[in-house]
Amino acid sequence: MTEQHDDAAVFDDATAMTGTRDVMIEIEHVDKFFGDFQALKDINLKVGAQEVVVVIGPSGSGKSTLIRCINRLEEHDGGRIVVDGTELSNDIRNIQEIRRETGMVFQSFNLFPHLTVLDNITLAPRKVRRMPKAKAEELGMELLEMVKIPEQAGKYPGQMSGGQQQRVAIARALAMNPKVMLFDEPTSALDPEMIGEVLDTMKELARSGMTMIVVTHEMGFAREVADRVVFMADGQIVEVGTPEHFFESPREDRTKLFLSQIL
Amino acid sequence: MSTTRTWLRHNLFRTRRDTVLTVVFGLLALWLLYKTFRFIFVTGRWSIIEVNLQLLMIGRYPEAHVLRLAVTVVVLALWGGLLAGFIRGRQVRSGRMTAADSKLSRARVTDLVERLWIPLALVVLLLMLTSTPGPWIMVGLAVAAALVGRLVGPFVGRLRLPPIGSLLVVFVFGAIPVVLYFYVVTAVGFDGWGGFMLNLFLAVCSIILCYPLGVLLALGRRSGLPLVRLVCTTYIEVIRGAPLFVLLLLANVALGFFVPDSLAPATSTRAIVVFTFFTAAYMAEIIRGGLQSVPRGQIEAAKAVGLSPIRQTGYIVLPQALRNVIPAQIGQLISLFKDTTLAGIAMGLFDLLQVSGAITSQEDFRGQGLIAETLTFAALMFWVVSYTMSRESQRLEKRLGVGIR
Repeated sequence: MTEQHDDAAVFDDATAMTGTRDVMIEIEHVDKFFGDFQALKDINLKVGAQEVVVVIGPSGSGKSTLIRCINRLEEHDGGRIVVDGTELSNDIRNIQEIRRETGMVFQSFNLFPHLTVLDNITLAPRKVRRMPKAKAEELGMELLEMVKIPEQAGKYPGQMSGGQQQRVAIARALAMNPKVMLFDEPTSALDPEMIGEVLDTMKELARSGMTMIVVTHEMGFAREVADRVVFMADGQIVEVGTPEHFFESPREDRTKLFLSQIL
Repeated sequence: MSTTRTWLRHNLFRTRRDTVLTVVFGLLALWLLYKTFRFIFVTGRWSIIEVNLQLLMIGRYPEAHVLRLAVTVVVLALWGGLLAGFIRGRQVRSGRMTAADSKLSRARVTDLVERLWIPLALVVLLLMLTSTPGPWIMVGLAVAAALVGRLVGPFVGRLRLPPIGSLLVVFVFGAIPVVLYFYVVTAVGFDGWGGFMLNLFLAVCSIILCYPLGVLLALGRRSGLPLVRLVCTTYIEVIRGAPLFVLLLLANVALGFFVPDSLAPATSTRAIVVFTFFTAAYMAEIIRGGLQSVPRGQIEAAKAVGLSPIRQTGYIVLPQALRNVIPAQIGQLISLFKDTTLAGIAMGLFDLLQVSGAITSQEDFRGQGLIAETLTFAALMFWVVSYTMSRESQRLEKRLGVGIR
């Protein structure tokens, strides 16, 4: 699906399934190098508004690098990335604008340990969006209700379980009212019994119409929630398709091999 | 009884070698204790301290103006009380503490006494040595002023002021020490300071000034701008490579090469400048260590929520970095405090150590070998302040450690 398809065709795969959408993220011919190592090779992907795209693939395949390029935690070396009409450039104001529009959830939560849960959530709205404190805290409590831990508002991250921390991290990302949510292996650092609560929160978010790109190893989640599944290996997108197509009748040998290893 | 014996046997007399060591070091300790006790209560001739107490504490500050110092102490106590109360009021307002937390209770008084009994004991000891009622009155008024400030402060802190009002409060709080400084200094000129007061003055000024400079240097050394990085690194390495004593001597002598005498700052000012620049270089390295201890993920998360680079540093990185290296920072500041005695030796300032030496050659005490008594007194003063700083830092660390990973 890499060389033989152009990017329009990749996008059409999704539109064919779920109707016409506005384009939220466009990634065109993106390359990324770490020294001599090429982490991303000519990546092309379009994500529509309200679409849920799950990225899977073996470790080292460039999945995380790809979504980290979208909010400029990594700088891409070639091609272009457009988020909601704004092209990522070296202009710090451009980068700031895109970061305001994209929420990110990390594998290791990365909550701010010196702030309470509520302060973790309200910091960015207050400082970046200049929201008054009372209003920000109201919003923070609403989000904590949504992730079902309002009683933890006054605690510090270190006093909570991993699953709770990750749900706070989701609430923190949502507090900026982003148009896109990026998830970088959100359940990989969790104990098995806590994975469910985080995935449930994510499913709810997907149902609410959030545009999401999720890097994960949770195949059940991909099958249930994804509009499209992207399979990456060695820095390339190998195959893109609906979950049905992807899990029932994968086209590429590399995909079949990967699926046989994990399923 | 048998538990004591078991404990003794277990910890002190388990083997023959243990027994020998216990007896030898036990005797040595007893002998040291006996000698110390004898020195303090029998052989020590402490009248030299009693007679010269004023000189040891405030140097040659003119008798006519001593009242200014008393006023300063009382106002500073009021100021400190107000500040503490103000901060508590703010904490209550923002919901970090409840009003119930600030109720006066036996537990809080006990806690306060436990925290501060060593410096309190020293103050009482010094008061016992005085022959005039002045210091008693001053301390009494200072305690009363601190209490009044602490009781009034929360009301100021709880007020919801417009931005201009808050700015005014901050300005008044900041201006009071500066006004007091000039109030004290105009009586005697910049170098009229002396005694332990001078050591405290040098240390407090240098600590306040070196801290922000140290933070800036640490950030500068990690800056993305090569020129800033070069300047900061050069500064740190040059200053750290020079002995403090040499820098103090240079400030005393070499300044004359560049600036005419009439324009040269006072000796105590030069000392503060040297201490500030010197300690800032060390603080910068300590804080840089703290900055490096903050995980990369923290910065990434701060970026991802859209904070600007300055806010990433100010709200996320620095608070964690500074907290992580509190012990080393306080250690450096304690070291700075004790090093203020070098200013006396290198620059001829009449600080506690110099006074301690000088009074042994007074007519009444000459040739009697009283240097041991005066140095013991000086050491006690420095130890009490240093130890109090160290204990307070541990407390601070514990309190800030609430949210630690």
